Amino acid sequence: MKHKLKGVALTCAAIAGLAVSVSASAHPRWILPSHFTVSKEGGDWLTFDVTASHGTFVFDKPAGSESASVLMPDGRSERPNFVIRGKRRSIFDFEFTEQGTHKVAVNGTPTYWTKYKAGRRDTVKWLKANKAERDAELPTKSRDVITQLSFTRTESYITVGKPSQSALEIEGKLLELKPITHPADIVEGEPVTFQFFYNGQPQSGVTVDVTRDGTLYRNQQDQLDLVSDKQGMIKFTPEHAGRYLLRANHKGELKNNPLADTSSSNVHLTFEAVLQ
Amino acid sequence: MKSGKLLALAALLASTAISANSAALPGNAQMDVNFTLPKIDTSMYARPYVAIWIEDQNRRPVRTLELWVGKDEWLKDLRSWWRKVGRNDKALVDGVTSATRPAGHYRFVWDGKDDKGNRVEQGSYTFLAEVVREHGGRNLIRQKIELGTQGFSHRIAATEETGTVTLDYKIN
Repeated sequence: MKHKLKGVALTCAAIAGLAVSVSASAHPRWILPSHFTVSKEGGDWLTFDVTASHGTFVFDKPAGSESASVLMPDGRSERPNFVIRGKRRSIFDFEFTEQGTHKVAVNGTPTYWTKYKAGRRDTVKWLKANKAERDAELPTKSRDVITQLSFTRTESYITVGKPSQSALEIEGKLLELKPITHPADIVEGEPVTFQFFYNGQPQSGVTVDVTRDGTLYRNQQDQLDLVSDKQGMIKFTPEHAGRYLLRANHKGELKNNPLADTSSSNVHLTFEAVLQ
Repeated sequence: MKSGKLLALAALLASTAISANSAALPGNAQMDVNFTLPKIDTSMYARPYVAIWIEDQNRRPVRTLELWVGKDEWLKDLRSWWRKVGRNDKALVDGVTSATRPAGHYRFVWDGKDDKGNRVEQGSYTFLAEVVREHGGRNLIRQKIELGTQGFSHRIAATEETGTVTLDYKIN
């Protein structure tokens, strides 16, 4: 009996392990700004925590900040001034001196996993290889071979003085979120609209969850589960002021891509809903 | 055709309704504001930041009457006023800013003019006062007001960070 249970546990662990290695959202990477709004004349330093965890704003894995970028109100991109990597999070600081809205991002690089079946029992296996690399590594009698690209955008918006629009524009690559409600205008009890794009086109069917800070200290997640409509829009109303983590995923086909057949791309946006 | 005529009629009616309301306030109309910052017994008392302003019926800011603040770093803590007014118009902020004040009674008068110095039109408005105190709390009080040819008095109950506030609209 005991052995049997142990066996079940081991199997579960194996499945969980596989899921972690394959799905980018297993430990979602997110960014947490110290402030979202700057009113100080001449600007101010802000600090950012970056980690990957299952808890909303609970630090866990030391996701790096080396790829962090700040899209400035005039469209140029800057790098953080200081980056530190700890055991359970990384940190970077940036001095915001220009008026307007900035997009802060810690985007990953695309990763490629190839899924295939092999052996007499059609066991599903995974290989960390893209379409160009996979043939050299796949066993000769592999079946149902498919390569998936995984990509995650981890982002947040900072506004110094008067909000501006240019940093909200999309770049037309994979899954992206365009705030229709300006991130500096998200207020408790007022409706928010965001629009999703996939390769630059409005995308329906994007699955989204939105969770408010503080899950450690309440019994239920109280997350909002949403799906984008025909125009790629989601609408929701944050009931309480606070910091929120939005996670969106879309799985799509890739046409004429030399490296992958399908994609799974994510947007992890941290935003605040201010008091009325 | 028929619906077209009806629409035109409706548009005409709507425009006359607006023009009937769009008369400016009577030249001698003004609103007296009696405002109180309560004495708060606490070990860490800092004078609060205070913003007092008027919004029109579309919740757009019309006039900032008072702004009692210290370092601009903390202006954003006047969350509502910062979002609606402060962040959008630096010149206005500079023009209206004064120092923080101690607990006590304050009286000031709104002359019925907007931020640009024009007399506002008659209609529905909202009086707002936002008070936020370091180490302390924040209160945002609102009072709907009807500015026309009739005087009125409103009494806004005290909150944690505000004492009783009275508004007296007079046409002398």
